[in-house]
Amino acid sequence: MDPAPATPRWNLERPYLTGRFHQEAMAAAAAQAPGSKPFSLDSFSRGAGASTGSVIGSYAVSVQELLVIDDLLSALVGIEGRYISIKRVRGKEGYVVFQIDSSMDLALQELTRRIFPLCEDYVLVSQFVESRSHFKNGLVNHALAAALRAFLLDYQAMVAQLEHQFRLGRLSVQGLWFFCQRMMSSLNALAVLVEKATSNNTSGSATLNLLQSQAKVMGGDSAVRSLLEKMTEYASAAYLRMLERWVYEGVIDDPYGEFFIAENKSLQKESLTQDYDAKYWQQRYSLKEGIPSFLTNVAAMILTTGKYLNVMRECGHNVQVSLENSKLMSFGSNHQYLECIKSAYDFASGELLTLMKDKYDLIGKLRSLKRYLLLDQGDFLVHFMDIAREELMKKPEEISAEKLQSLLDIALRSTAAASDPTHEELICCVERSSLLKKLATLKDLDCACPADKLAAADVDQSMQLSITGLETFCLSNKVQWPLSLVISRKALTKYQLIFRLLFHCKHVSRQLCAAWQIQQVFRSVKILGTPILRSSILCRSMLKFVNSLLHYLTFEVLEPNWHLMHDRLQTARSIDEVIQIHDFFLQKCLKECLLLSPELLVKVEKLKALCLQYATSIQLLMPSIDVANSENTAKAGKSRSRTNKSQDRDQQLKLASENVVMSESILKFEAAFNSELQSLAPTLSNSSHAEPYLTHLAQCILGVRVDQ
Amino acid sequence: MPREIITIQVGQCGNQIGMEFWKQLCLEHGIGKDGLLEDFATQGGDRKDVFFYQADDQHFIPRSLLIDLEPRVINGIQNSEYRNLYNHENIFVAEHGGGAGNNWASGYHQGEQVVDDIMDMVDREADGSDSLEGFVLCHSIAGGTGSGMGSYLLETLNDRYSKKLVQTYSVFPNQMETSDVVVQPYNSLLTLKRLTLNADCVVVLDNTALNRIAVERLHLSNPTFAQTNSLVSTVMSASTTTLRYPGYMNNDLVGLLASLIPTPRCHFLMTGYTPLTVERQVNMIRKTTVLDVMRRLLQTKNIMVSSYARTKEASQAKYISILNIIQGEVDPTQVHESLQRIRERKLVNFIDWAPASIQVALSRKSPYVQTTHRVSGLMLANHTSIRHLFSKCLGQYEKLRKKQAFLDNYRKFPMFADNDLSEFDESREIIESLVDEYKACESPDYIKWGMEQDTGEANVAAALDSKLVV
Repeated sequence: MDPAPATPRWNLERPYLTGRFHQEAMAAAAAQAPGSKPFSLDSFSRGAGASTGSVIGSYAVSVQELLVIDDLLSALVGIEGRYISIKRVRGKEGYVVFQIDSSMDLALQELTRRIFPLCEDYVLVSQFVESRSHFKNGLVNHALAAALRAFLLDYQAMVAQLEHQFRLGRLSVQGLWFFCQRMMSSLNALAVLVEKATSNNTSGSATLNLLQSQAKVMGGDSAVRSLLEKMTEYASAAYLRMLERWVYEGVIDDPYGEFFIAENKSLQKESLTQDYDAKYWQQRYSLKEGIPSFLTNVAAMILTTGKYLNVMRECGHNVQVSLENSKLMSFGSNHQYLECIKSAYDFASGELLTLMKDKYDLIGKLRSLKRYLLLDQGDFLVHFMDIAREELMKKPEEISAEKLQSLLDIALRSTAAASDPTHEELICCVERSSLLKKLATLKDLDCACPADKLAAADVDQSMQLSITGLETFCLSNKVQWPLSLVISRKALTKYQLIFRLLFHCKHVSRQLCAAWQIQQVFRSVKILGTPILRSSILCRSMLKFVNSLLHYLTFEVLEPNWHLMHDRLQTARSIDEVIQIHDFFLQKCLKECLLLSPELLVKVEKLKALCLQYATSIQLLMPSIDVANSENTAKAGKSRSRTNKSQDRDQQLKLASENVVMSESILKFEAAFNSELQSLAPTLSNSSHAEPYLTHLAQCILGVRVDQ
Repeated sequence: MPREIITIQVGQCGNQIGMEFWKQLCLEHGIGKDGLLEDFATQGGDRKDVFFYQADDQHFIPRSLLIDLEPRVINGIQNSEYRNLYNHENIFVAEHGGGAGNNWASGYHQGEQVVDDIMDMVDREADGSDSLEGFVLCHSIAGGTGSGMGSYLLETLNDRYSKKLVQTYSVFPNQMETSDVVVQPYNSLLTLKRLTLNADCVVVLDNTALNRIAVERLHLSNPTFAQTNSLVSTVMSASTTTLRYPGYMNNDLVGLLASLIPTPRCHFLMTGYTPLTVERQVNMIRKTTVLDVMRRLLQTKNIMVSSYARTKEASQAKYISILNIIQGEVDPTQVHESLQRIRERKLVNFIDWAPASIQVALSRKSPYVQTTHRVSGLMLANHTSIRHLFSKCLGQYEKLRKKQAFLDNYRKFPMFADNDLSEFDESREIIESLVDEYKACESPDYIKWGMEQDTGEANVAAALDSKLVV
């Protein structure tokens, strides 16, 4: 924020310009000659001054009256007279008291004294006006000062008229007193106000609050109240202009730091797409202390209104607010200003939402995320896994992301995704750590307790060695401003977590399918009673497990939740609501995908690891049969001897099916898999009371057996 | 173009249902009769390349081989409005055009003669695809060409493309009416052997059931082949929707089949479809929730395989696996609830030896085909009662074989020359063991089935038993 411009020095150095002379001059006089007469400012006072030194008591009462009226008229505008002196009040800066020559007629003295408060108030107020007009005091104070100055001008006009009457010889002290009556209470109220403002050194909204509360305090005196309300109105004019610019344009025009919304320029919108903990949306603009009381209820709404407009401006979108009846004129009791703010808010949120939805196609983006990161249309992944198999088998450090990217592009171009233009926004990335480890590092996902993390780490250590691209591959998506407001780095990370889980499940499922396909050759021999049968059935159980898991993740978690979100987004009225709905969706998905319960996830990972080991060993053991087979084929020659050939092959298969090494390893896998799967059951059913989604999972994975 | 599938349609029936299948695919993908994309077909998101490829002039060409030993059906296709759809190089009609005379042996033998030509076509198609996933064979098992030549092709494909999947859509003959093909039991048996040994998956389309459905469900008094074939094409296209309209799961054939087929031999699938309609038939609009669809799919009257089981046996029959492919606008939250209901009401009798449940695949519906129903469903199921169909085939074969009837026709061909009928016996043995295996599936001890008897493997069995205590 630019520092307020400095008030020129001459303004401070010339006390008569600012009305500070009372204090300074008197202080000087007091310092110079404590005993000397207080009338050192004589030369400035009106009148010829010929009769200096003469005591007023020596005149006739009628003359005394004329003299004192003359002096009073000066005093009313803060100037000492011959018989009326001004004294500083010790300890109270800026306060003065008026004193009258005690030799005067007592009745006159008494009347005169009654008028003094008016004079004192005037001095106070005019000092305030001068001092608050300095730049540093801010717009509200300037405006208040200007309003007070205008009021004082009225007052001065009254004094001038009184003087005119006096010159015409029509003014008595009584008359003066009569005419001052009207001013008395008004000026006094202002003086009280000024006094409070000075002592608290208020500025900005504090001044406005003070004005309002004073107006309320004076509720009984309608004239004074309306005066104070008028003052409030004037004083707030500048503030309202600021408010107007904010709620209609999203600009903070606040050179003196009075507005209740602060901007943190160090937060860049680019951080949204890079920083996991980006605070742009929450903290770029924030509410400060000191919200004007009449705005406290709508402060949050005002903040968001401006934020929305700001977003649109950042997008290069010119916002045209229709200003028909929405000029923020005042904040009177009719609450019209509230309606203005409300309509501005409605406009801004509606406009931004339309902008996001129509121009930036938010829903389309979400749909594309669903398509690629949640595998809603997974055919590209099948092809990608086909062609990127070798690259993904490497260790994460050795994988070339560029190569994967180009393979991904090929896969996208040659599948159903080709007709979808958003597929170009997909990026490959390869993480370094396993899913469990990654989850442990993301602390703010309200994951379960650290003990579980330990368990997670344990599993990791054994798996870390064999980790490949298949465990760490991940897709990402380019998200442009302003969509990054909704799909921030954090949201994207959550999508990625789900993707990695799905991707790995798909991988396991594929491997099992490959194992299944290898075992299909055994259809030419009888396998009843051989280990192959057990293996087939184990393969089926594993496939069932992985597919049920996938089914659960997709059809029971992602799809319904996405639909729910989609429906809710249709009725969302503001971008904050959209963000909230989207975050809620992601959090719910993470939770229901077990990503927030490491205990279960570790078990699932173990099961998947078993499936993979089984599939790999089948794929390793079986091709030996194929080799033997093809050798035979070569020897057997042309198709004439097909019968012999197939008999040979059957023989081979028969032998293979009785292979003891294999049968033992199959049994081992079977036992391990079944016991692991069974151990999942109690865990699931224990926690399913609290989390109903686990019942779904149990029904999916463990099938009908659970009910029995 | 990844994971392509090559379709081979053999014989009269194979080509007829194949043609219906391609018609349906063209409709669903918005491909015109000449192979050009229709103007309205702009929505994208579908996978045409699994079954089609694009020629240089943007024509979509089916990855399909049309094979027959007699020209009638194929000529019909070539004179139809779809004549420009197919690649003419992929059409094979035997030069003599005499067919196979409903004789399996003739078809098989002729297949052997022309296999090089046909395999050239297959190789060409296979080379034209990026990562071929497998083959789909459409044929009937009763006649001569589809069964005999189809059998030979199955064996050859298995040999040459051992890493690829082979799925067949096999039409089983109508058992209710006396067929003009008297040797049908022979043909069926010999084909069944190949379907058992050389195919990864057989989708059984039982003409008996198709006819019954046409009569009972569609109220057609005398269903034509075209009408039953349209049922078949509906099933075929529906069973491939997850490949053509990709979703979360089952985006490749192997994934689809692996979950349905537990052991290598038990790969015969039944299908059910709802709502059943044929062209131009006005169907009343029914309430179609997911639960309704799933429930209807489980009703025997909607299943396209007749159950020949007697009541007692039928009650023991069990589902090994079920995949419901549900197309259309479905509220995904209904799926779980529906499965739950079905489970609660015990509508499905599953095997005991392994966990099993209904799998559901939700799939989009083609935006270009207007239907009166919001949701449609296909069930692919592996059910043990299918063994009764095979038993029936066996029984009919035995009857005929006892009489030694019509064997002369077969002896004319090399396989059965010199009165060598061992092929029949071998086939019978394999079908019997298939029936046994399905029967074993009904037992809770399936996993240990046959182990005790096998003395040679006593140690292993003992080892197994000891481990099972865990």
